Amino acid sequence: MDLEFTPEQEAFRAELRAWLLEKAPRGLPSSGTREGIDAHRDWEKTVHAAGYAGLRWPVEYGGRGADAVTQAIFEEEYFLAGAPERVTQIGVNLMGPTLMVHGTEEQKRAWLPRILSADDLWSQGFSEPDAGSDLAGLATRAVREGDHFVVNGQKIWTSYGAFADWIFALVRTDPDAPKHAGITFLAIDMRSPGVEARPLVQLDGEAGFAEVFFTDVRVPVSNVIGDVNAGWSVAMTTLGFERDAPSKAAARYARDVRELVAIARARGLSQDPIVRDRIAALYCEAESYRLHALRTLTRLARGESIGPEASITKLLWSELERRMYEFGMELLGPHAESEETSPARWHRKYWFARAATIYAGTSEIQRNIVAQRVLALPKG
Amino acid sequence: MSVDFDFTQEQYALRDMARDLFEKESSPARLRELWNGAERDARTWKMLAEVGILGLAVPEKHGGSGGTMLDLVLVLEEAGRSALPGPFVETAAIAAPTLDDAGLQQRLATGDLVVSVGVDASPFVLDADVADALLLQRGDEVHLVMSGDFSCKPARSIDLARRIFTIDDVETTTLVSHDAQRMLARAAVATAAVLNGIGMRLVEMTQSYVASRKQFGKPVGSFQAVQHKLADMHVAVESSRPLAWYAAYADTHGLPDAVTAAHAAKAHASETSKLVNQEALQCHGGIGFTWEHDLHLWLKRAKALENAYGTATEHRAAIARGLFDA
Repeated sequence: MDLEFTPEQEAFRAELRAWLLEKAPRGLPSSGTREGIDAHRDWEKTVHAAGYAGLRWPVEYGGRGADAVTQAIFEEEYFLAGAPERVTQIGVNLMGPTLMVHGTEEQKRAWLPRILSADDLWSQGFSEPDAGSDLAGLATRAVREGDHFVVNGQKIWTSYGAFADWIFALVRTDPDAPKHAGITFLAIDMRSPGVEARPLVQLDGEAGFAEVFFTDVRVPVSNVIGDVNAGWSVAMTTLGFERDAPSKAAARYARDVRELVAIARARGLSQDPIVRDRIAALYCEAESYRLHALRTLTRLARGESIGPEASITKLLWSELERRMYEFGMELLGPHAESEETSPARWHRKYWFARAATIYAGTSEIQRNIVAQRVLALPKG
Repeated sequence: MSVDFDFTQEQYALRDMARDLFEKESSPARLRELWNGAERDARTWKMLAEVGILGLAVPEKHGGSGGTMLDLVLVLEEAGRSALPGPFVETAAIAAPTLDDAGLQQRLATGDLVVSVGVDASPFVLDADVADALLLQRGDEVHLVMSGDFSCKPARSIDLARRIFTIDDVETTTLVSHDAQRMLARAAVATAAVLNGIGMRLVEMTQSYVASRKQFGKPVGSFQAVQHKLADMHVAVESSRPLAWYAAYADTHGLPDAVTAAHAAKAHASETSKLVNQEALQCHGGIGFTWEHDLHLWLKRAKALENAYGTATEHRAAIARGLFDA
């Protein structure tokens, strides 16, 4: 066991910290607006030009071929610098690595460089109104006509869906096959005729995700990733990358605990034994997550994959966030009712955290995975 | 390579060896004998000494293995998994690194010195009648008292495999340390690791029970309500273990947050233990609420240890002092 960073890693951290301090913009407009997405894209281009985009991507695809520890250092420093949301993350963390495994040479050449340079923003077209936790129940149809597929249907909860250039979508190409066997993984240019994205205002007031409608959208057959009707296994590769994606930087929860202490002081509750007990419990949970993440990072750094145990990570941070911000709101007392009398970021954190136990697999699905695939209990 | 939050091959080999030994020496059948009043078996203690587990944290020049808390922590989890009886935590994890007398350490490593521990917050001392020496906390000080220089009276633990005593008439003591904090921190880390090991065993027992127990024509473990309880138990135990590992690492390297890490490890392990204890019994149903089933041997050990060397609330209060009053 050794928790010290190497001199090279410390040097990387120092160089990155200085760069972020100088370059990272503050207060960009919301990525849910055209103006905001353009500003975020510009920032991504700055990140790319400095060589910090896709750190873990192999050198041959424009990355640094860095290890998971370097990536984790990046995530931590990026968070601590208060740098902008990463609007390229779906392309860089999901589509890029999926293409590296399943894409043809031509597909890789066409898309990978533009993912990294933020010329193309990608979104993920998995969920549908009637296919959420039961993803394989998806109904968006793609019918072959010559060298094109004609796509009809709807996706939902599509992050960056309103402004993305591309979407990778799961579509049903064989309605007669068993539900997992008739699905194809298709890259669709969102500027194609018949694609309509309608932004959804989220609970937190932000316009972050969208509904995406497909009406007779013609997509070249050459945009199929993997084989036709073999999209489920490609999607599993994508979800595997989602599971192995950088963990939420644990530094954020240490900072949250310090903020809770500050709020307690400001409210005159710093000697209240119940308040102190609750904050100490959250401190323990935050530490537990930090150390769990280190355990995971150790495995990733050795080149291992996390597999179904990633569900433990998701449960830990998403449920920690909910408890942390719930208590923060209570601690603010009557001030919590208005953003004018309480730190607005607590409201943002609180409402956004309410989505965390739903997106990327609900807590219930994560518990199913832990029970069935980690503990090997019989399927119901 | 950096950031290696894992154990060495040697540490895993030691754990495997400890697991085999503990499972043999502390089988449910043996635990039941102790519950029924069997005498403590000195042979088991000798075996722990022979394989080098007792003297793991004793310097090599004093006949030990020169190991650290980090070398011990997985062995301690195994002690919990097997509900190992006796003052193993007290001797191997608390006394071995605290005693500074070469002769005593030598005797400890050979199994010739059973040490138990008394702390200000608790009226009880484990196995005081067979202990050759006690380490007693007195405020900030730690004192050593040899057998013959105190008297003890048996009390009845909720875990009948734990033989607990109250201590009276302490005559001559020797000051061993002015840093009782450090000893209490080690006691907390070690007990947290044991609790996590008990948690692992409770998850294993419950997992296997719900996979075989059938109702409505299928295993109860196929029902989502039951699966989610198992998932919560597993997640709780697996996220508690790294806190004890880190606290052991911090103790080993003398890190500035070693004491805080020990508080967090024990607070979280005790809290986790309560959840696992409840759900293990719930998932076992009626059979879990009997003396016939082995489950309660672990439930009761856990219940005793949750409050030993500081309750969850006490450790959180200490953490809060660091957060608010430092």
